[in-house]
Amino acid sequence: MPKAVLVDLLKCIGCRSCQVACKQWNNLPATATTFTNTRDNPPALGRTTWTRVEHKFIEYGSAVAYRFVKRQCMHCLDPACVEACFMKVLKKTPEGPVIVASDKCIGCYYCQVACPFEIPQYEWTSGVPRVQKCRFCYEPGGEYDRLGQGLKPACVQACTTGALKFGERAELLAEAQRRISTDPRYVQHIYGEKDQGGTSWLYISDVPFAELGFAGRSGISSFWKRLHGLKTG
Amino acid sequence: MTNHFIDYKNSDVILVIGANPAENHPMAMRWIVRGKTEKGTKLIVADPRFTKTAALADIYAPHRPGTDIPFLLGIMNYAIQNKLYHHEYVVNYTNASYLVNPGFKFEDGLFSGFTLKDDKPSYNTETWQYQKEGDSVKKDPTLQHPNCVFQILKRHLARYDIQTVSKITGTPEDVYRKICETYCSTGQPGKAGNIVYAMGITQHTYGAQNVRAIAMLQLLLGNIGIAGGGVNAQRGESNVQGSTDLAMLYHLLPGYLGMPQAGSHPKLQDYLDKETPKSGYWSNKPKFFVSMLKAWYGDKATAENDFCYDWLPKLDGKDHSHMAIFEAMAEGKVKGFFAWGQNPLVGGPSAAAEARAMESLDWLVVIDLFETETAAFWKRPGADPKQIKTEVFFLPAAFSYEKEGTVTNSGRWIQYRWKAVDPPGNARTDLWIADRLFKAIRAEYQRGGVFPDPILNMVWNYDQPGEEEPDIAKVALEINGFSVADGKPLSSFAKLTADGSTACGMWIYTGYWADLDPAKAACKRRKRETTGIGTNLEWSFAWPLNRRIIYNRCSADLKGNPWNPNVPVAAWDGSKWVMNDVPDFNATLPPEKSGAAPFIMLPEGVGRLFAAGLKDGPIPEHYEPMESPVKNIMSSQQNNPLVRPRKPAFGRLSAAVNPAFPYVLTTHRLIEHYQSGAVTRNCPWLVELMPEAFVTISPKLASKLGINPGDKVVVSTERGEITCKANVMAIVKPLKINGKEVEIVAMPWHWGYQGLGSGMSANDITPYVGDPNTQIPEYKAFTCNIRKA
Repeated sequence: MPKAVLVDLLKCIGCRSCQVACKQWNNLPATATTFTNTRDNPPALGRTTWTRVEHKFIEYGSAVAYRFVKRQCMHCLDPACVEACFMKVLKKTPEGPVIVASDKCIGCYYCQVACPFEIPQYEWTSGVPRVQKCRFCYEPGGEYDRLGQGLKPACVQACTTGALKFGERAELLAEAQRRISTDPRYVQHIYGEKDQGGTSWLYISDVPFAELGFAGRSGISSFWKRLHGLKTG
Repeated sequence: MTNHFIDYKNSDVILVIGANPAENHPMAMRWIVRGKTEKGTKLIVADPRFTKTAALADIYAPHRPGTDIPFLLGIMNYAIQNKLYHHEYVVNYTNASYLVNPGFKFEDGLFSGFTLKDDKPSYNTETWQYQKEGDSVKKDPTLQHPNCVFQILKRHLARYDIQTVSKITGTPEDVYRKICETYCSTGQPGKAGNIVYAMGITQHTYGAQNVRAIAMLQLLLGNIGIAGGGVNAQRGESNVQGSTDLAMLYHLLPGYLGMPQAGSHPKLQDYLDKETPKSGYWSNKPKFFVSMLKAWYGDKATAENDFCYDWLPKLDGKDHSHMAIFEAMAEGKVKGFFAWGQNPLVGGPSAAAEARAMESLDWLVVIDLFETETAAFWKRPGADPKQIKTEVFFLPAAFSYEKEGTVTNSGRWIQYRWKAVDPPGNARTDLWIADRLFKAIRAEYQRGGVFPDPILNMVWNYDQPGEEEPDIAKVALEINGFSVADGKPLSSFAKLTADGSTACGMWIYTGYWADLDPAKAACKRRKRETTGIGTNLEWSFAWPLNRRIIYNRCSADLKGNPWNPNVPVAAWDGSKWVMNDVPDFNATLPPEKSGAAPFIMLPEGVGRLFAAGLKDGPIPEHYEPMESPVKNIMSSQQNNPLVRPRKPAFGRLSAAVNPAFPYVLTTHRLIEHYQSGAVTRNCPWLVELMPEAFVTISPKLASKLGINPGDKVVVSTERGEITCKANVMAIVKPLKINGKEVEIVAMPWHWGYQGLGSGMSANDITPYVGDPNTQIPEYKAFTCNIRKA
């Protein structure tokens, strides 16, 4: 049964423990940053930042909302990056995580252009390209593995309020449905249930997802945007 | 805290005022969020900033820094005017019916008894006392007598109507009315309202009165002693509760025993006679005090020599709080200084002036994990190391995960923690450092010295054979208390005596280490409760006597029926009490009897809606912060009449309504950094998240001053100026104060000139003036100006 994480934005307090826990568990270095007005830092996901919380201070209609949105690889059910990877480096596992399964990466950037969430990034520091992104703490046989050891992902483990919940995708979908149908604050949408063909990371929210930057990341125009915006190593 | 963190899940309404748990007490939010999800708890947040806590609020009220008293008094007024208070609770469990001296008056911001002698203001509290008939207080249970506490309070509060409160605080009237309605709904028997606060309440020149206002509101609504209620101060550090218990403050001995005064307590009997109330549990004070002397001086302490009372240091009646120490330092009266786990050059008020004061020191010892700003004061920006003669010693300390021992949280839970890893290099535990320091000092006194007896005869027997580390179990046993005859630990402070047959380092912790086998210490217990109301009585140990909800007799009516049968703390079943907590009352008495005096620590036995104990008034009253952009509309007393500016080297204050400093500045913390940043600014992952100091201003002010996000700006106050980046965000907005638009500006204070992420500390420019009761500095409300750098 595939695993998933349910992110409940009505429970997130923006403490960013998940962001630090990810770096700590995966031994990812800190980068030099400077002040940002939004308080988001580092400024983007990247080779050494696999998850990141975005501060969203939004005034929409007559409402004001301050929400904190954790971003990372969504671990799609049918991942475009895996489709695009002709070297078969990226792999969708039956357990749910999309992982880097070999060291045969040739640095073609196809995955980076294919991903609707702009997640995969390259590491060139060793001279050999390597795709870097959230691996859902799944590294069968590796030193950073948690899922294979029966542990929750590091970010979920660190969550103070239960905003992140790890479990079976089907059960979490039912849980999400229960929450949004019993509490009138939520919008009637589970992001990731069907979006982009379905994802392993699921979100529920009181603020419309379009306001939180979840929309506009699919379709051909989005593809061209990514192609033009491609940053190469 | 009267209650504890897990208990937040039992609240119907939570009012967070002067606190931002989402950033500063994130684990508290676990229980607030759980309450919201499972119980439908309503969360009200009152804060000058739209904080991360406000982000999850059902009702958010912006209010001007320093206006908590009108905010809280207005809710009380609403409760009384609309008869929403808990009448039965107020009549039986508070002093509402007590008659006060007919001479008591309140006129134009002053209570009766105000005197000014040599420009030193004080109150003679004679007219604040109860009317008595023999030994008993006169009462009017109908609450109608004009001199009864309830009527005095009602008259005082009537001035704080919604419109007036809105004019002072800047909270829109409709929002404020909604808050009054929502919070006062907890005055209904069976409903629980919880007030959560922190430094936003205490760091004012009327901080103690702010806390009083919270306590009074909770008494009026019957919210003390019940599950989901309480006066819940969230302490600023993980073990600040423990350090306060152990008497970090100069006016206390361990367990909140007052420090003896040389003038009024020359002999033990003077201290005991004058400091022991005739009724309430504090009438046992001699047992606690003598047992403490026995723990410290052992066999040397006998009834004949007053248990070595003469060896205790005595106070000289003067102020020796934080600010006074630095003033004395500046005058060359303090030669040496231990900064032990404290970094005043980032955390202290007017920190830049405190740095100058330190230049007069002969020697300085800093015990910390990293070279803090305080340790590096002699090479700080602008200082000339050649001109500074202070000898500086740095002792590297072990981090909390590199040593074992207890940490006492805000909810008074004393939790034992085990060492995870060894400290690096020569870093040592605080216990090791204290132990070696004491032994070195004792060795010096063995060679001679003035008044060596207290040092040479102090009980100091914590060695464990063959080990570098002192035996923490021996220290813990001494704190817990034991029988002198056989050395057996005591299970309760009720067993302490004043005749020297028991020894106890701190009475309030008795029971936390009540077994000779250290493995069985109650503070090491880790059993989660499976049924119950969240008190988790077998998880660690809470002082006093493992009680989780203080004054829990008040959770039931006079007959012992719980106000809320769904979450009962104590219930009388007709023959005995059925408890979900340890009784904080005499459970062997019938309910009517214990119900007559449920506030066991107070001589009255009931909660005080009117209290003569504070220096600056028996009821809170609104005064403006020492620096304010507006006049006080409540009276001609602009400021707390008991506050006077301190010495000019530190105490420069801006006049009220000074156009040179038009904006209200408040300081705060961020989740990414901890206190003065001594640790977190040396952690790359945290510096990455929050790299630089900044000031938050509203988009409107930014556009007026031509400031863009990220611009360098200069923030100035009467005490100096600092440069940082501008954060332009609508989490602060100008407020309408009595018709005038006032901009609110906010600065985190975590930064300094050391560490990976550096910047100037906001505290360089905070005021050097404090509350007359506590001398806590007014960090939270002062005035500033801003310009582009």
